[in-house]
Amino acid sequence: MNLQRLRIIIRKEFIQTFREPRMRFMMLLPPLIQLLVFGFAVNLDVDSAKIAWMDEDRSPQSRELLSQFEGSGRFIIAATPASEAQMQDLLDRGRVDGVIRVLPGFARDVERGRDTSVQVLLDGTNSNSASIVSGYAGQTIARYASQVMNQRQRDKLIAGTMASGGAITAQIPRVVAQTRVWFNPDLRSRNYFVPGVIVNIIMLVTLSMTAMAIVREKEIGTMEQLMVTPIRPAELILGKTLPFVLIGFWDMILVFVASLVIFHVPFAGSFGLLCFAALLFILTTLGAGLYISTISKTQQQANMSTFLIFQPFSMLSGFTFPIRNMPQVVQYFTYLNPMRYFLEVVRGVFLKGSGVDVLWPQLVALGVMGVVVLSLAVRKFHKHLE
Amino acid sequence: MLPETSGPAVKIDNLSKRFGDFVAVDRVSIEVHRGEIFGFLGPNGAGKSTTIRILCGLLAPSSGRATVGGYDVATHPEEVRQNIGYMSQKFSLYDDLSVEENINFFGGVYGVMGERLAARRDYVLKMAGLEDRRTSMTHLLSGGWKQRLALGCAILHEPPILFLDEPTSGVDPIARVSFWDLIYQLSAAGHTVFVTTHYMDEAEYCHRLALMGGGRVIALGSPAELKESLGTGHLLNLESSDLLGSMQALRGRPGIEDVAVFGGGLHVKVDEESAAESEIRSSLNAAGIQIHKLEPIAPSMEDVFVTLMEFQDQKAAS
Amino acid sequence: MNLRRTFAMARKEILHIIRDPRSLIAAFSQPLLMLLIFGYALSLDVDRIPTIVYDLDQTPLSDALIKSFRGSRYFNVVEEAKGYHPIDNAIDTRRALLAVVVPTDYSRNLLEGREAAVQLLVDGSDSNTAAIAQGYAEGLILTFAQQTRENAQSMRTGSVIHIPVEARVRVWYNTDLVSRDFIVPGLIGVIIMIIASLLTSLTVAREWENGTMEQLLSTPVRPVEIAMGKLAAYFLLGLADMGVALAVAIFVFHVPLKGSPALLLVSSCIFIFGALGWGIFISASQRNQLAAYQLGTLTSFLPAFLLSGFIYSIDNMPAVIRAIALFVPARYFIEIIKGVFLKGTGLRILWFNLVLLTAYAALVFYWATSKLKKKVA
Repeated sequence: MNLQRLRIIIRKEFIQTFREPRMRFMMLLPPLIQLLVFGFAVNLDVDSAKIAWMDEDRSPQSRELLSQFEGSGRFIIAATPASEAQMQDLLDRGRVDGVIRVLPGFARDVERGRDTSVQVLLDGTNSNSASIVSGYAGQTIARYASQVMNQRQRDKLIAGTMASGGAITAQIPRVVAQTRVWFNPDLRSRNYFVPGVIVNIIMLVTLSMTAMAIVREKEIGTMEQLMVTPIRPAELILGKTLPFVLIGFWDMILVFVASLVIFHVPFAGSFGLLCFAALLFILTTLGAGLYISTISKTQQQANMSTFLIFQPFSMLSGFTFPIRNMPQVVQYFTYLNPMRYFLEVVRGVFLKGSGVDVLWPQLVALGVMGVVVLSLAVRKFHKHLE
Repeated sequence: MLPETSGPAVKIDNLSKRFGDFVAVDRVSIEVHRGEIFGFLGPNGAGKSTTIRILCGLLAPSSGRATVGGYDVATHPEEVRQNIGYMSQKFSLYDDLSVEENINFFGGVYGVMGERLAARRDYVLKMAGLEDRRTSMTHLLSGGWKQRLALGCAILHEPPILFLDEPTSGVDPIARVSFWDLIYQLSAAGHTVFVTTHYMDEAEYCHRLALMGGGRVIALGSPAELKESLGTGHLLNLESSDLLGSMQALRGRPGIEDVAVFGGGLHVKVDEESAAESEIRSSLNAAGIQIHKLEPIAPSMEDVFVTLMEFQDQKAAS
Repeated sequence: MNLRRTFAMARKEILHIIRDPRSLIAAFSQPLLMLLIFGYALSLDVDRIPTIVYDLDQTPLSDALIKSFRGSRYFNVVEEAKGYHPIDNAIDTRRALLAVVVPTDYSRNLLEGREAAVQLLVDGSDSNTAAIAQGYAEGLILTFAQQTRENAQSMRTGSVIHIPVEARVRVWYNTDLVSRDFIVPGLIGVIIMIIASLLTSLTVAREWENGTMEQLLSTPVRPVEIAMGKLAAYFLLGLADMGVALAVAIFVFHVPLKGSPALLLVSSCIFIFGALGWGIFISASQRNQLAAYQLGTLTSFLPAFLLSGFIYSIDNMPAVIRAIALFVPARYFIEIIKGVFLKGTGLRILWFNLVLLTAYAALVFYWATSKLKKKVA
């Protein structure tokens, strides 16, 4: 390998890349957009649910229940429908996530020590938020129930005490949960998504830009020109891919800085480990980009192939949808997805501060995949050039 | 078909086109008569393609007027398009359609339908020599055949005026000649053909020519007229043992107007043949250069063009 | 607008489509792939949360608590730890998402009528699952707590105080909270948007690059005929795609179709028209295919996926983004399609969405036509 020639190719590639406005566009816009979207827009958290409050009892007890709901900070009472038709309409139009309905006779039942219930009607069209809202509502009602129960027990005990004479402290056993949330104490979904953007970006950039750059050369015809010179295939490959490795890293640093500075995502681990994993990951994506360039004649085909590959891999990487929820068969498939491993490393390093001792399986997997994919691609590229 | 039964097929009046600071077409005025083959000659970047595109309504003029078939290109582009056929410089039919499918498409677009379409289709296929290949994919045809197909698609609706922009570029010489046969047939049938080319030999085929350079019309007339405009001078062809030496020896000698390298020899422009001949022989003898051949020749379009361009450059320089 | 010329354009476009197998395959395989992935693989439902328990108390009382975790469908007890270290390890390596730690004084506190705390440790890095898991776990403990109370009370006083108030939850429209039923209809809208942009964003730019556009412009064909011809051809493809997607949704995933199929068909046609029109507009605004492709992806795919309310609820987004989301046509179509499938809502409620979609389609078509100028420069 001639280093001189290599340097020249790399230089040409850099000049071409940075001069071309489209490439500059690719360097800045995708990370920016993904950061914006996943950092700000995409939010699975249900901070406050819009509910309708339908009080058919209108008693101090139902008002007490209402104040529990209002005070929980999790609900916004968006409407108070007066009839079933109105309630139906609200749900049909999707104006509220759910309806809390207190039936007539609520207060009477509570007073008389009878068991009663509160209706929680949920809009199931968004099953995710429905689950969350159901949980919140249930908790709020349970808290109210506890209050009532406390009161009853106290009354009973006091009655019993007075009957037997003497004072007994009310000893009521209670079980409470003390929850500690590790790694993402505020449970902000942003902390979950934003580090994942790194994986997406690197994959997108290195995969598609590599493929495009090589195919562009083919399209214009300069590839043929290059092949006539003393340039070796290895030099060509390295020369064409090195700039994009650097661009990939550049984008990663951009996202990294943005995560810390703008989104305040906690970073507990080692930056060096992150870079090392990124390098291993890039081996695979470069290989894939190389391979795509051999099967595409035009930039359009390269783009389409990149898209067709990127889509399923990204969706099945655990970025937005947990791998654990997938059917067993699909989970096996994700073992072949380098994005999965890199994502685990990224999330581990950011939120958990995990080190090599925990993440070594992922690193090994990335390394093995990288070497295999890249060598296969290089071999195909060689053949293709002949 | 056309609003006037007399008058020029194409009338260009003081037409200019500017792209920013660059003047692509500079106050061009030309008239093209009906049924004639009019050639637009010139080097690349002279403004030929730009002019044609204005005439086809593809570009708007910066100033001046042009009428095609009696219709003003700026105010009545749709009527212009009904009456013209256009063959662009780059091959621009659909590669992934068959020969027949391309014909059918352009037929539909030009409003040629039913029986008339069938008749025209047969005619075009015959004219282009593609009868056996009506179902072939266009991308499989070689350059010459593609051009013939493109010409065919341009004449489906029997337009009175045809604009052909470098129709034979990249085509082999034999195919070029037979293509020009087609153009002659069309002209004989009454079509007006406006052709641009940078092949000088093709210029000889045209009825009249305009020479374009730097956006301007440098010369206008029939090939014979243009050759005569070279002056009353004659042209001698000289082959010698030392080309460059001969050039130096002859420059500025009395009776020698100009010396230019041509192929393996020199074209010497002289005032009077016999006097010049003796002058040449004596000069070269004195320089010790052997003469292999010295004979009078008729000027070609290339000679005309080179002379005119040089003249133009001299004018610009002074 | 001359119908004959338009028809000639449309016929030519159909030939192009048929002769481009790669795009045709992509046009059908992409939606199917996405339907399969979203329908079978991707789910936000939370159950079988891997849990690790650490019982420091080791009494029947603590055992009872742990049994309730084992018995719940939401939790999958993967390990009984013998120390804190395994817990660290399990959560670090993602073998468990949740740890339940019962302290040594648990049963003692209970028997003496005091408050007994149970520790829950949740891996917050997957915040969505964590929130839901936390909710379920706390809910389980709360229920367990109330039962314990009841028992204690009955032992003490011989009488039972039941839980006075409980929540009766009914879910409308998607009774089993199957997230697939919620995802698949919305997915159809996303698919249409993506396919439309994938297919049409190149069609005009390609003609510019090849030079055929110039040839076309020198003929009598009008811009509106070019736009309409291309649109008509791709419309058939889009409709076919839509049909396949609907068939998969109804017959493979059994998503219930409660509303009017006619409304679904009409709104789909309008939406497809608008989506294709947008693609043609993008294509006409660029002179080269690469730029057209990137712009098409950026403006169709991303908004459709992320800002249409398909999975991520728009209400929870910051105001600026919500404002942008107002201009995403896919969002209005997804409301219609979800409404028709899951809620059985009709025109009475959805008419405004339909009006917006129609206006969008008309506007986009007008833009596309204006962009197809008859001048080369």
